[in-house]
Amino acid sequence: MNDRTPERAGAARFRVSEDWAAVIVGLVLLGASLVGLIPAGLVP
Amino acid sequence: MSESETAPREAAGAAVPDAPRHPWYWALLGVGVVVALAAVTRTLETAVPEAAEGTGLAGVAKAVEYPVYAVVLGLLGNALLTATGLRDRLAGGFRTEFFIKTGLVLLGSTVLFDVIVKAAGPAVLQALVLVASVFLFTWWLGGRFGLDDRLRALLASSVSICGVSAAIAAAGAVQARREQLAYTASLVILFALPSIFLLPWLVELLGLNDAQAGAWIGGNIDTTAAVAASGAIVGEGALQIASIVKSTQNVLMGVAAVALTAYFAFRVAPAQGGAAQARPSWARTLWDRFPKFVLGFLVASVVATVWAGLAGEAGQAGLDTAKALRDWFLIAAFTSIGLEFRVGSLREAGWRPIGVFAVATVFNLVVGLVLAVLLFRGFTL
Repeated sequence: MNDRTPERAGAARFRVSEDWAAVIVGLVLLGASLVGLIPAGLVP
Repeated sequence: MSESETAPREAAGAAVPDAPRHPWYWALLGVGVVVALAAVTRTLETAVPEAAEGTGLAGVAKAVEYPVYAVVLGLLGNALLTATGLRDRLAGGFRTEFFIKTGLVLLGSTVLFDVIVKAAGPAVLQALVLVASVFLFTWWLGGRFGLDDRLRALLASSVSICGVSAAIAAAGAVQARREQLAYTASLVILFALPSIFLLPWLVELLGLNDAQAGAWIGGNIDTTAAVAASGAIVGEGALQIASIVKSTQNVLMGVAAVALTAYFAFRVAPAQGGAAQARPSWARTLWDRFPKFVLGFLVASVVATVWAGLAGEAGQAGLDTAKALRDWFLIAAFTSIGLEFRVGSLREAGWRPIGVFAVATVFNLVVGLVLAVLLFRGFTL
């Protein structure tokens, strides 16, 4: 947008990393579930 | 939805673009509110049908799925927090986009990869036809209603592709004003909320199968979190197909952003006397706008499919845990939709954009229904 301030630009960068964060958190949780790091029955 | 990530947050935040920043612990408390409401949702999901058993309300109680509790609790929480003046402080924790994307990555582990491969053809075809037709129709209609070109671009992108995410991508491409984005974002959520409940009801009325229902929902509801909520109300199969179809549409956001950037740079800006500005390359724009969670979704599906083949029954416990985590993230996203909802910016923009959005939504519903029925006829999960 044309009125984006430096703070807003910084926020946009953070949002991009939030995108990747969702991928990483999702895959790490999947891996932890599969190898038993998160015990079966722990998550209701 | 790359920066869509911004989406529902912007939907809320955009209504107050210059909202003051609050210390990080308020965001943490906001996450606590989301988790608490998610826990209440999970409790109600089992407690209500049990309590209603043997009464005249047993049928209704069983039919109400967890997304309904989550969205309603979110809206109630929103009203309560707004009344107490805490909502804006806690809003940093209402991260709908992060929750829904993490949930969708985990959802990949519950979708066999061959289902994705099988659904990819009709999903891509539906996305191409639906996005192109709905975009062009909305663009044309916005012109007939005398809307500003930039607002037309935002409305057309949001209603045809993926809601607030697409509006944000388009806003960057066409240099839209912040209030135009805030307005579009609010409009998207305003239409998405009733759609969550309306489409499953229409699915039953029309007698669609799970795949058709998922394709219709995925092709119509603008916001990804609302697509997942609506799909989950219909059932697991519909949720899977809706997610695949919506993800496919999300991928097209980059293409739309490139096209809009080019159109506004070469047609609109010179016509309005504006100077051409330095722009990133189309390849860079495509990658920036590419929804990265789709990669996570695909990887999770491959990993889970291989795991199920190698570990067999012994590996099922791990997959069940991943599915339970998926449900928690999805519920957190659905709750956040309710917590983030605002109508403030809608009051100032008048009825014309609402009229355009409403007519475009009906057009989307009809074209999407025809495509879903044709392309997903006989599709088995």
